[in-house]
Amino acid sequence: MDIYFCLRQPLEMVDSKRMKTSSNFQWLLSSFILLCLMNQVNSQKKGAPHDLKCITNNLKVWDCSWKAPSGRDTLYEVCIENRFNSCYRSEKTNTKIPALLPGDHEISINPIHNHSSISKFILNEENISLIPDTPEILNLTADFSTSALHIKWNDKGSAFPHHSNVTWQIEILRKKKMEIVTLMTHNTTLNGKDTLHHWSWTSDMPLECVTHYVRMRCYIDDLHFSGHKEWSDWSPVKNISWSPDYQPKVFPEDKVVLVGSDVTVCCVIQEKVILAQFGKEKCSLIHLDGENVAIKIYNISVSPTSGTNVVFTTDTNLVGTVIFAGYPPDIPQKLNCETRDLKEIICTWNPGRPTGLLGPHNTSYTLFESFSGKNVTFKRAEDPADISYQLFFQMIPNWEIYNFTLNARNPLGQSESTILVNITKRAVYPHTPTSFKVKDTNSTAVSLSWYLQGNFAKMHLLCQVEITKSNSVQELRNVTVKGVEDSSYFVVVGKLSPYTNYTFRIRCSTETFWKWSSWTIEKQHLTTEAIPSKGPDTWREWSSDGKNLIIYWKPLPINEANGRILSYNVSCSSDEETQSLSEIPDRQHKAEIQLDKNDYIISVVAKNSVGSSPPSKIASMEIPNEDDLKIEQAVGMGNGIFLSWNYDPNMTCDYVIKWCNSSRPGPCLMDWKKVPSNSTEAVIESDQFRPGVRYNFFLYGCRNQGYQLLRSIMGYIEELAPIVAPNFTVEDTSADSILVKWEDIPVEELRGFLRGYLFYFGKGERGTSKMRGLGPETGHSDIKVKNITDISQKTLKIADLQGKTSYRLVLRAYTDGGIGPEKSMYVVTKENSVGLIIAILIPVAVAVIVGVVTSILCYRKREWIKETFYPDIPNPENCKALQFQKSVCEGNSALTLEMNPCTPNNVEVLETRTVVPKIEDTEIVSPVAEHPEDSSEAEPENHVVVSYCPPIIEEEIPNPVADEAGGTSQVIYIDVQSMYQPQAKPEEQENDPVGGSGYKPQMHLPVSSPVEDGTAEDDLDDTAGYRPQANVSTWHLVSPDSPRSTDSNSEVVSFGSPCSINSRQFLLPPKDEDSPKSTGGGWSFTNFFQNKPND
Amino acid sequence: MPTGDSWGLLACLCTVLWHLPAVPALNRTGDPGPGPSIQKTYDLTRYLEHQLRSLAGTYLNYLGPPFNEPDFNPPRLGADTLPRATVDLDVWRSLNDKLRLTQNYEAYSHLLCYLRGLNRQAATAELRRSLAHFCTSLQGLLGSIAGVMAALGYPLPQPLPGTEPTWAPGPAHSDFLQKMDDFWLLKELQTWLWRSAKDFNRLKKKIQPPAAAVTLRLEAHGF
Repeated sequence: MDIYFCLRQPLEMVDSKRMKTSSNFQWLLSSFILLCLMNQVNSQKKGAPHDLKCITNNLKVWDCSWKAPSGRDTLYEVCIENRFNSCYRSEKTNTKIPALLPGDHEISINPIHNHSSISKFILNEENISLIPDTPEILNLTADFSTSALHIKWNDKGSAFPHHSNVTWQIEILRKKKMEIVTLMTHNTTLNGKDTLHHWSWTSDMPLECVTHYVRMRCYIDDLHFSGHKEWSDWSPVKNISWSPDYQPKVFPEDKVVLVGSDVTVCCVIQEKVILAQFGKEKCSLIHLDGENVAIKIYNISVSPTSGTNVVFTTDTNLVGTVIFAGYPPDIPQKLNCETRDLKEIICTWNPGRPTGLLGPHNTSYTLFESFSGKNVTFKRAEDPADISYQLFFQMIPNWEIYNFTLNARNPLGQSESTILVNITKRAVYPHTPTSFKVKDTNSTAVSLSWYLQGNFAKMHLLCQVEITKSNSVQELRNVTVKGVEDSSYFVVVGKLSPYTNYTFRIRCSTETFWKWSSWTIEKQHLTTEAIPSKGPDTWREWSSDGKNLIIYWKPLPINEANGRILSYNVSCSSDEETQSLSEIPDRQHKAEIQLDKNDYIISVVAKNSVGSSPPSKIASMEIPNEDDLKIEQAVGMGNGIFLSWNYDPNMTCDYVIKWCNSSRPGPCLMDWKKVPSNSTEAVIESDQFRPGVRYNFFLYGCRNQGYQLLRSIMGYIEELAPIVAPNFTVEDTSADSILVKWEDIPVEELRGFLRGYLFYFGKGERGTSKMRGLGPETGHSDIKVKNITDISQKTLKIADLQGKTSYRLVLRAYTDGGIGPEKSMYVVTKENSVGLIIAILIPVAVAVIVGVVTSILCYRKREWIKETFYPDIPNPENCKALQFQKSVCEGNSALTLEMNPCTPNNVEVLETRTVVPKIEDTEIVSPVAEHPEDSSEAEPENHVVVSYCPPIIEEEIPNPVADEAGGTSQVIYIDVQSMYQPQAKPEEQENDPVGGSGYKPQMHLPVSSPVEDGTAEDDLDDTAGYRPQANVSTWHLVSPDSPRSTDSNSEVVSFGSPCSINSRQFLLPPKDEDSPKSTGGGWSFTNFFQNKPND
Repeated sequence: MPTGDSWGLLACLCTVLWHLPAVPALNRTGDPGPGPSIQKTYDLTRYLEHQLRSLAGTYLNYLGPPFNEPDFNPPRLGADTLPRATVDLDVWRSLNDKLRLTQNYEAYSHLLCYLRGLNRQAATAELRRSLAHFCTSLQGLLGSIAGVMAALGYPLPQPLPGTEPTWAPGPAHSDFLQKMDDFWLLKELQTWLWRSAKDFNRLKKKIQPPAAAVTLRLEAHGF
């Protein structure tokens, strides 16, 4: 029979695509064919076994089952044809057969009581499904403190014939509703033995809060099995729950978490939680089983010092926990190990980034030395603020190299840092030496001693001595001493100066230098005195009377005195006698001895407390100079003067240059300087030198113990301009010349070598403005200058001057340092008489000649002149035509005179002076004349009377200003305007003054001060500020003080703002005093404010 | 209270503290009666109230929210060992002087011990300094109460062996419960200081002898 059977469709398909893709297609095809055939068979043979299906769970035994007609109890015989008739009997419709080899095998199932319905199947391994046994969780435990679940199970690998890979799926569920939390995969290998497996999972939610369930299944991926592989069934579920006590609790308790992580905090409670709070923030609740709730905190930030509180509040209760969020310890930075005493190693480090965790969660440090295996633990200081990260490690004897590892640990992690150090060579940082002392050894050496703690027995110490001399010069000296343990050290420091203040301090290191210790405190020390190293610098001078020899010496400099000089001894010895002066006190630096003119050798000795200096000797003899010495001139370089001379082999001892201020009286000695005999030049410098002062320098050469004056030099350190002008006088004056004579300037006032004079002269008179410009600097063209470079010249004659003219003469002296001040004088030249005579005679002569010539000419041309200038006049009486003309003229004249019989009138105008001269005609009537301002300024007496003929009109203008000023003025004017400007209105005339006195469109409003009659007017007149366009004078007609001002106060409001330019009340001042409106508008504004305070 | 007044009070009470060794009740050399020492003890309670106000502000801020929130009023959990200051008014009135003083003395002995434990646990140096300073002051108050009791002839209560309060932050005591205990410790301290002030005021009025009586007693001593 050629029958195929269908394999059972697996109940569950797992997510393994690998398995599906290889077998599903074949399976589908087979199923389809099988179904077709089954129908055929069933139609032929009803009641035969069919639908044979085989599975395996261990690859050793196949479990085959088939379907049979129901309702009959039949015994089946299953035979595998190829296996020598190996048959298995079964009372059920299934049986187990050993696994068959790959390939097709014919299986016949024979119901024993029904031989007619034997079914035959072809069975192949490819049609077998491998479904592992359901795994079983042997043990599920929980670590509540870490929220970890630990699962243990047996893989039952012994049941499998060969090695296979197994995939385990573990599902975690939560809450009573069994909500899936996670599905994890775990891979292992079957190795033919039963093996226990462990697996752990950490929950984000504390396990105490809710029941957690676990189940698992597996999938065996056997490479040798070609059949269909499927997942096992899920194992039975196991759960973990916390048995709460009656107290509500919050989990996790006191947990330390990493900053930035997410944390779930839950509360196990029997009451309803109404509020959850994390720090200050309120959190939304996640409801768990029962009344239990949880909150989730995302991206947690660093906690404050005492941690962050999480609080759950119910109606009656409050529970909470503390979360500490921080960082794991940073790698210890700058780990450094060194020793100060070679007994103990100090390792220091910087903890790096703060962990944010304090108290019990703080970082703990352990220092581990790997060669010795020793370690020390960091003990936190009592005061956390004063923490210094250092650990002390006791040195091991004879051990040089140490390998340190510093481990930092806190609940969130650990880190470490290592250092390998050769302690004796590269890590000795000695303590600061103590007990530092300085003691005298001699005048040029001291001994230093100090104590240094530490075991330096096997090495040398390198110490540095800092020597500061008189707080200025510093010197460092290195000394090496042999090291000892905890002991004092001594060194001698030499090459010091006697009697000198030194400051010493010291620091040490080892010879294999690593670090200097700190400096010791400074010690000051004065070295002891020694005898003066040289005799004082000596000079001598004969006194002015030549009887006494004055011996001078200079105090010894401190480096030669070697102590405090107490006294000097002076002795003068000749072949015959010796005179001496002893114990001359230190402050005295000269001595006078009466000597004859013999040759003496003078010896000066300086003495201090230790002894006397070598004598300093000088001969008294002065060798006369054969030649007359010229006095030379020299100018210095600002701070000194340079002198040079020719080399003279005769000079065997030395040269001496002495100098003095030439202008001072007394013996010429200010200072001296000795230079060696081989020198030919010297620079003389002294603090006493001043610019503009003349000094005399004398160069002496020493020969055979006697001094000879070689040169005499007069010089200045620096030349300056003369401080005074030379005195000059006029010796003689003529009509065209002046003779001037002047005197020398004293040396002290000259302040330099005189180089010449500048003489200025020009016309000028004393006291005139011109004179001021007649200076040498003005560059006036008519000023003449004479430069007199011959300084011996003392007179000057100025010629070619004008007679009887005033001249200004100016004389100035100059040096190389500049031109001195001027001295001026005015001189008038004498009169030149000849010139005067000529000046008179020539015009007289010219006039006479002109007169004579004119007379002659007039006489000769007298007829022409008469015709031209004085012709004969005809007699009018002989001309009739002229008679008519005459009558006409007379008639006109008569008419005019008859029409206006001329009666002289007086026009009297009161006017200011400035205005009056402009009135050239009575027709011009200045509007200014009518202006009250001007009227007030006019002087009543100052009036002009103009005579004229026309009839007069008299008008009296009431002038309030004039009235109030107490005076009256009456303007009587001719009504000219009425003639020429008949349209002009009186109010326009009143407005005219406004325009006439310049633009004054606005009016000063006396707002703030109560206005009184007189002052108000003055204020208004003087004000040039803002004014309403109104006639100013009318505003003053009614003052606020007047009774009417108060009367009309009620009308103010209706008038509007008085300061408005548009207001007609202001623009049309009252002509009629009876008009109440005008009056009110005139003063109301002021009054309004005046009355305001009284309201 | 203006700042100036606070400082004045502070200075005054510092002086009081300084002179504590000179309290006659402590020295028992003279016998001016217990009046002055009661007055000084009363003053000291007022000073400690002031000092505690500053300390509590710092410490509650250290504990963090919600402990430093003004309306925070948690149930009293786990702080059962702390001596309670709250007492029924009738019971308080019915207390005799000896019992009153004994209760005060016992309460402060316990509170001081707890406070020292608090100091050991504080994480910041500033807090430790403040707590140490307050502990010293509280020690002074305890001495002062002992002085008053001695002056009145009452024996000091002897601590029963094994009942001495100890500070043992074990693993069973969570940080949060510890904070709650700290909170209640400060709160009880404050209540006790209020109560003591009232106690000593009452005692002062009761003990205060009339001026004549004092004179008489002095005369009796003189002869």
